[in-house]
Amino acid sequence: MPKIEPREPDELLAAARAGESDGFAALVRLHQARVFSIALRMLMDRALAEDLAQEVFLQLHHSIRSLDSHQHLVSWLRQVTTRRAIDRLRRERRTETLSLDESPGLDESLGLAASERDADPLLRQHLQSLIGKLAPMPRAILLLRYQEDLDPLDIAQTLAVPVNTVKSHLKRSLAALRMQLSAGAPLDESGEA
Amino acid sequence: MNEEFDEQLRRALRPVDPGEAFTARVLARISPEPRNLRVRWRRAAWIPAALAASALLAVVGLHEWQQRQKEAGLAARTQVLEALRVTSQKLDLAYRLINTSSRPASDRDSGA
Repeated sequence: MPKIEPREPDELLAAARAGESDGFAALVRLHQARVFSIALRMLMDRALAEDLAQEVFLQLHHSIRSLDSHQHLVSWLRQVTTRRAIDRLRRERRTETLSLDESPGLDESLGLAASERDADPLLRQHLQSLIGKLAPMPRAILLLRYQEDLDPLDIAQTLAVPVNTVKSHLKRSLAALRMQLSAGAPLDESGEA
Repeated sequence: MNEEFDEQLRRALRPVDPGEAFTARVLARISPEPRNLRVRWRRAAWIPAALAASALLAVVGLHEWQQRQKEAGLAARTQVLEALRVTSQKLDLAYRLINTSSRPASDRDSGA
């Protein structure tokens, strides 16, 4: 078996752009966790998330020549994944999500391995369940803020919304999550952007 | 308090890797055919160039042939005109000889 040399992300992009299937495969491996996790937390369904993530990578394969840097590629993946997920949720009006009663089995339903669970799985499951109850736009904003570690300006560019909308959604979502965590009351941050 | 809550959210939203099977499924869905077609098209990129070169050669050849035809036509015309001129001279000479020989002797003597 030939020895595979580790390559820089920009080299992988150049290889993929040149039509090298190994380069594209390496890019998929490098970014599949990011894309799949956004899709999973948006759609709250492993099968739907995997399907959406695959479609994103198929679209990437078709659009790879239009991406000129690895940074561009990463922002493209975030943008396409979140927008596709929001569109699908709005199309299917899939607003009903797992109830709090179902939360103890959430990790299994999302297909998380035991090694991926942290020391406080109940709190994490509870938070994930609550995030899943947010409306598509505030949910996407929260994911981009805390999964992708983007600042409000980058989130606004990714989702093509005003930065003040991002800030107000973040503020309301965080307040609603805190309140829900402490009191167990229903979420009030469910409106669309 | 805020930082702790932010950290809880980051832990809850840690990326999850779907596994190597996902990669395999993505790569399987990428049909090899379009890529082969692209490679074939890239390999066949010389065809338009060859067609253009052939067309250029044909145009140049046609122009050359037309030029030669024109030159040959001019040469033939010159030859015909020359032949006509020589023929005309001969006819003129013959006419004068006939005229001279058919005149009566008295005319010739009186004119001498």
